[in-house]
Amino acid sequence: MQEVRFLGRGGQGAVIAAELLAQAAFLDGKIPQSFPFFGVERRGAPVTAYARVSSEPIEVRGSIATPDAVVVLDRGLLRFAGATDGLRENGWVLVNAPASVQAFAAPAGIRLASVDAARIAVDHHLGSPTLPIVNTAILGALARVTGIVSLDALERAIAAAVPRKPQENRAAARAGFEEVRPLTDPRSRLPLPPPRPRRELPLPEGPLALRSSEEILTASWRSLRPQIDLSRCTRCNFCWKYCPDVAITLDAEGYPKLEEEHCKGCGICAEVCPPKTIAMVAEA
Amino acid sequence: MTVEVLSGNHAQSEAVRLARVQVVSAYPITPQTTVVEGIAEFVASGRFPTQFVKVESEHSALQVCVSASALGARTYTATSSQGLLLMHELLHWAAGMRAPIVMGVVNRAVAPPWALGADHTDTFSQRDTGWIQLYAENNQEVLDMVLEAYRLAEDPAVRLPVMVAEDAFYLSHTVEPVDVPAQEAVDAFLPPRQGHAILRPGEPSRLGSFTSPEDYVLFRHELAAAADRVVPTLGEVEGDFARRFGRSLGGTVVPYRCEGADAVLVTLGTASTPARATVDALRSEGKKVGLLKLRLLRPFPESELRAALRGVGAVGVFDRAYTFGAAGAVATETRAALYGERERPALTSFVGGVGGREVTPSLVRRVFDHLLRGPEEGIVWSDLEPHRELETHG
Ligand code: SF4
Ligand code: SF4
Repeated sequence: MQEVRFLGRGGQGAVIAAELLAQAAFLDGKIPQSFPFFGVERRGAPVTAYARVSSEPIEVRGSIATPDAVVVLDRGLLRFAGATDGLRENGWVLVNAPASVQAFAAPAGIRLASVDAARIAVDHHLGSPTLPIVNTAILGALARVTGIVSLDALERAIAAAVPRKPQENRAAARAGFEEVRPLTDPRSRLPLPPPRPRRELPLPEGPLALRSSEEILTASWRSLRPQIDLSRCTRCNFCWKYCPDVAITLDAEGYPKLEEEHCKGCGICAEVCPPKTIAMVAEA
Repeated sequence: MTVEVLSGNHAQSEAVRLARVQVVSAYPITPQTTVVEGIAEFVASGRFPTQFVKVESEHSALQVCVSASALGARTYTATSSQGLLLMHELLHWAAGMRAPIVMGVVNRAVAPPWALGADHTDTFSQRDTGWIQLYAENNQEVLDMVLEAYRLAEDPAVRLPVMVAEDAFYLSHTVEPVDVPAQEAVDAFLPPRQGHAILRPGEPSRLGSFTSPEDYVLFRHELAAAADRVVPTLGEVEGDFARRFGRSLGGTVVPYRCEGADAVLVTLGTASTPARATVDALRSEGKKVGLLKLRLLRPFPESELRAALRGVGAVGVFDRAYTFGAAGAVATETRAALYGERERPALTSFVGGVGGREVTPSLVRRVFDHLLRGPEEGIVWSDLEPHRELETHG
């Protein structure tokens, strides 16, 4: 059995990617299963989905602790602990990254590959340039590096199951298959995340209440960040007032200040700023 | 017959279409939503000529089904968690009015706090409403059970509504291969509902209106007698299903490697999958353990369960919910069923997978380790002791 973990953001198509992989594996004559981890279903929020492919009936359900491959649809997610936890010896990490990214720091025993799935998606008019739908391009790349499904089955699954732009999605899968690059250069540019610390469960006494949402760091949802040009700021405070997450506070002189850990990158502040002094720029 | 890769929710939608349900009414709630989306897509594409009634709440959705069912229509609704709780009053009406409605329930944790994961508290807290409750382990069972549920519900000996329950996400949003039978085969197994209209236009009569104590008890007793006929009727329905489709869901309780077992674990729903794999692993290590999968919770299949557990030394019951002040709900039911036995095994109630916690093979292994250490009465909150040996409380 081969097991794949997909990491993406709401709107990128990670759940559909896992399901398409299952459909394609079935067309290859295998027994598939796929499963999304469900949390907040919001655009930009991190999403995890899983797929299993086997030639025997599958006797497990639920999340995958020891994947053979981790597919990262948004490389910003590599900032967070636990993304590649449990990856098997010689497992693959496949990252959506532009060709300019030449290398990742990876421990021995991990194989890395990247594909510019965002550019491929934009080339094929899938999603928008700020939120390209990268799932079919990266599945093509996954088919190539792991051999978990054939490109033919993948294309047929896309043709059967993708209601919008099936031809463009098939072409994106083919391009991903062609363009995927193994990353072997030891110079590191993007470090892999540390493992997630194991949480021992406390057994509390007394009625429980959830803690303040100040502790919920919605920064993980962000793929765009507001950049405020204070030189043109009129201190009207619109951004402060409209931010749905109170992620803009005001300094002593009344200038807006971004709370990095809570800004989810929705862009409302940029939209409402009268002199248009806030620009939404892509996260590094 | 074609094999398709379907989610549990789409297995429900496919079955509803194949059953030629005449009236569908539902209100969306995560994780049930895609059941109804699937049906809505069939209706929109013209593949499924059903009457789809949009409503403002779950309470109204079930009322639509009760009314249409009283007029003789085949009806369906689906819900989950809080939505099922909101239906509670109408659940009693549906059973009391002997409306053979089939409802898909995606088992989801009950708030507070808000949670979306698999948990059986929602359906367990409806055990006294008169509905039949069937629980699926995989998406094939979901599809097959919905088809069987209509035969069972509409059988003149039964005439009771049925819930077909599936675990949130572990089935509702998991896709896997499902054998979808051909329409003609389903039509032969499940002909149109007949002779069932209680209310007929032009023939004035009342249903469910005021009664005296003298009459009320007759209605309740009639309902009780119908519930008693569920197990034999389900046996007949499953026999016919197996003859026609070449596969069987295996009855009300499904034993797996229980021969000569020192310890047997009783499970419901998707916890059965890791439990079966663990039984295989432990048997290959020479440990005598078995699994008893329960498929029917209401009415409770007492004699089947008793027969399957006869001679077993230690029984564990794995519940994905807790009945406050008692134990796991299936554990209390199982304990009551075993009361009439001359030799009663010790019974441990394992509460696990609560609120969507994963039931992994390693968790089930620690459950069996606990059982094999020796028979012990008590309750184990297995989720809370993830890295140690399990301990009994109470
Ligand atoms: S983008 Fe602007 S409005 Fe949106 S969360 Fe960040 S600071 Fe607030
Ligand atoms: S909305 Fe624009 S101008 Fe107004 S305070 Fe914010 S950044 Fe400054």
